[in-house]
Amino acid sequence: MILHPAALALLTTALLVSGLGAYSCFHGMRILGKWDLSSGSELQLELERRTYLISTVMSYILAFQLMLLFLYIYTADSLHPLFTGAMCAAGSLNANSFGYPVLILKIVNFLLSGVWLIVNHTDNKAYDYPLIRVKYELLNLLIPLLVLESILMFAYFAGIKPDIITSCCGSLFSYESGGFSGEIASLPHIPMKIAFYVSMSLTLASGLFFYLKGRSGGLFSISATVAFLVAAASLVSFICLYFYELPTHHCPFCLLQKEYGHVGYLLYATLLGGGVAGLGVGVLMPFKKLGSMARIIPPVQRRLALAAMICYLLFVLISSWKMLFSALRMG
Amino acid sequence: MIELASITKSFNSGRPNQFTAVDNVSLMIEPQKVTVLKGPSGSGKTSLLTMIGCMARPTSGRIFLHGIASALPSQQDQAGSLEITSLPERFLNDIRRVTFGFIFQQFNLIKGISVLENVMLPAYPTGESRADFRGRAEELLEMFSIGRHAGQRVELLSGGELQRVAIARALINNPSIIIADEPTAHLDSKLSYEFMEIVGKLKEAGKTIIIASHDPIVYDAPLVDVLVDMRDGAIVSSGRDR
Amino acid sequence: MKTTLERHLNILDFTLASLLRRKGKNLSLLTIYLLVIFMLASLVFFVTALKREAAIILEDAPDMVVQRLVAGRQDLVPTKYAEAIASIRGVSKVRPRLWGYYYDGLNGANYTIVADDDSVTEPESAMIGSAIARSRKVTVGDLLPLISYEKVPLMLQISSILPAGSDLMAADLIVISSEDFQTLFNFPAGQATDLAVTVRNPKELTTIASKIAQLFPDSRPILKSEILRTYQAVFDWRGGMTVILLSSALISFIIFAWDKATGLSAEERKEIGILKSIGWSTPDVLLLKFWEGVVISLTAFLLGVVLAYGHVFFLSAPLFAQALKGWSVIYPSFRLSPVVDGYQLAVLFFLTVVPYTTATIIPCWRAATADPDTAMRS
Repeated sequence: MILHPAALALLTTALLVSGLGAYSCFHGMRILGKWDLSSGSELQLELERRTYLISTVMSYILAFQLMLLFLYIYTADSLHPLFTGAMCAAGSLNANSFGYPVLILKIVNFLLSGVWLIVNHTDNKAYDYPLIRVKYELLNLLIPLLVLESILMFAYFAGIKPDIITSCCGSLFSYESGGFSGEIASLPHIPMKIAFYVSMSLTLASGLFFYLKGRSGGLFSISATVAFLVAAASLVSFICLYFYELPTHHCPFCLLQKEYGHVGYLLYATLLGGGVAGLGVGVLMPFKKLGSMARIIPPVQRRLALAAMICYLLFVLISSWKMLFSALRMG
Repeated sequence: MIELASITKSFNSGRPNQFTAVDNVSLMIEPQKVTVLKGPSGSGKTSLLTMIGCMARPTSGRIFLHGIASALPSQQDQAGSLEITSLPERFLNDIRRVTFGFIFQQFNLIKGISVLENVMLPAYPTGESRADFRGRAEELLEMFSIGRHAGQRVELLSGGELQRVAIARALINNPSIIIADEPTAHLDSKLSYEFMEIVGKLKEAGKTIIIASHDPIVYDAPLVDVLVDMRDGAIVSSGRDR
Repeated sequence: MKTTLERHLNILDFTLASLLRRKGKNLSLLTIYLLVIFMLASLVFFVTALKREAAIILEDAPDMVVQRLVAGRQDLVPTKYAEAIASIRGVSKVRPRLWGYYYDGLNGANYTIVADDDSVTEPESAMIGSAIARSRKVTVGDLLPLISYEKVPLMLQISSILPAGSDLMAADLIVISSEDFQTLFNFPAGQATDLAVTVRNPKELTTIASKIAQLFPDSRPILKSEILRTYQAVFDWRGGMTVILLSSALISFIIFAWDKATGLSAEERKEIGILKSIGWSTPDVLLLKFWEGVVISLTAFLLGVVLAYGHVFFLSAPLFAQALKGWSVIYPSFRLSPVVDGYQLAVLFFLTVVPYTTATIIPCWRAATADPDTAMRS
């Protein structure tokens, strides 16, 4: 167990988020069970008021999740001197088997909370709460993941023993090591670059088509999601190399540091923003024909598609600019 | 036009202390007329007003707003009528804000802020630019000849002035319907007559006015078009008296 | 977009007006909030500054220190070890070091005595730290008597006083010649306290360390990175411990905030009723409460951080210094060099603003969902 002020801050917030989540989940179940819009009974009025509370809570959770994601990486980074051989966050996260699962859960939970808020926003535009069931079933999926994340994070910090020999980011993400993250790094540059630009172009093209014609939203959403994954892999595989100007440093975290102008924040923000918006379009697809949603969903989807395209375009521009002007040259 | 169809409002339903404030009331309220709900306290006047004014939802029954130019892109727009009973609170609010102006028995002004701010308060969440509604508020205060009090705190005003501030506030979002609940309860006779004069002016300006009152100065006033007599949550008589 | 902005501005305007109207209540909340942030911020700033200070000191430290263990306890190292180690490939320099602690009965303090023949060339002269000069009221040219182990006073003439700077360790330091060192402590010749090893290529440190351990099984090589790590762990641990101690304050603050938010005065309740009756919706009132929280939190946060900055970097943290700095009685009255970054502020934000916000969400929602018709039923 380590008693670092930042670790305490992370754990406190995780506890609060889980508590708020559990509270919302409880009332979400009540709403699922007792909802009856046609009734003007006091119970129904109370449930309708609860929906305000839950949307407020979820907005806060989303905001906290986003800040926590970066705080977590940053804390891992500041802990690295505690581990022999760890040179940045990549090494600290590898100090026990909970570090990376927490990070992945954090990203997944951020995306899910974002999607939840999109569904909620759409639902609130209609007179008759058409998505109320979808919304609260999604909540019941999301909250256990949030709680799991908090438990794993606790396990991560509890299990940290300074001085464990860990592989630093130099070896963790290098060609020699096996394992998951090693595989990302050893993905060959050229095919990876092709995949990156193809998936991004496909997303932008289908997004533009969807934005203008309002058709093939499903295709757009799928390609946006694929582009999210490909871009994340590309970030580790080749994009970061151009920023570090080192052919072997595959660490996705050092990008957040001052030496690289904090460019990581912009890259991750655009990637996460684009991912949430792209996923949101897809999640809304099945309800496009549902009664009052028919007139509400299309404009929401168009705006989401636009947001996703802008985010991805920024991501592509920043990374391409660096690839063109970096001192590093690769075959 | 506002149409009420078999409106019932009960409180504490399912519990031993259940009581029905409004019992199966049906009523048509005509536009640009003065309608007075008359009856002793506890007769359900106020409950009925809150439901007409989209403040509360009836337990059963339906309320339609006909021909009211709502700012909302209505989804159930059938010949310009809007059924408001099944709407969630957030939509009721939007309708209420642009359609209704309220005058309360206790004036309900907020202490500690100026007269002008009190008048502007209902416009704050509309997202209108401050300069616009500020201009309107100043005009309203001038119209009710209390412009010189604009910067004062409301605590320092007399009863009649408070009443006029409350009316100015009800008009800030330019509603088509004015709802007043026992507006003369805290006024002496002279001020009550003054109030009815203002009501007359509002009627001339084309507003629909609904007043709940058991004050003869109100319900006997010549400008009242329709008098609805209520008792025990039901309508005893309703009609054009004159 | 414009209307959304106007809505926020209008509601924010009303928020400020209503906060100012209830000065008493809000000031008491603000004061306690401020105090909590001030304490935590002082702590975080202080610990970070100390960590950096330690890192600066260690910058000049040798890459590796070799000690000798006898029966598991540190013992003197024969200087002949140095020659053997110097012959290992990759080692550029080995320097036997003489240093120890001297207990000064006069003021009950421990001094660090270091022998350095390069900077103190004359016998019976010394360079001393600023804290010693202050506590013994001596200056350059004066004599500083130290009692040797043989109970003979050793009169040292002060040749210079080490610059006060920000050097945490230099304050209680006395630098003398190795000859005087041996006299003072009755220290055997041909022995050293430890050996400082410099290596040509830092990447080979571990290899060389294991070679030394192989060569002399009773030796203990310690790497600079290991010392750094230990310092960090110790400071983090102390910081964390103190946060836990302060958490009782934090928790009582949260309960206080919850209570303030729940126990709305009758007047406030009435006001929200009025707002709702004249057309404010639940989200509007929630927005009002959100801005209220933002204004209070931001004010408390900014003021608290600024005050803590002054407390730590101008006043040298009188509230924490004793608890956190260390072990010696005379501790230097030094000034820490300011280090504040976004990361520290983020940690503070999560330790204070986030719990406060969380504690107020539900009470705010309760207030915001008041029936709009309550105003008509009073």
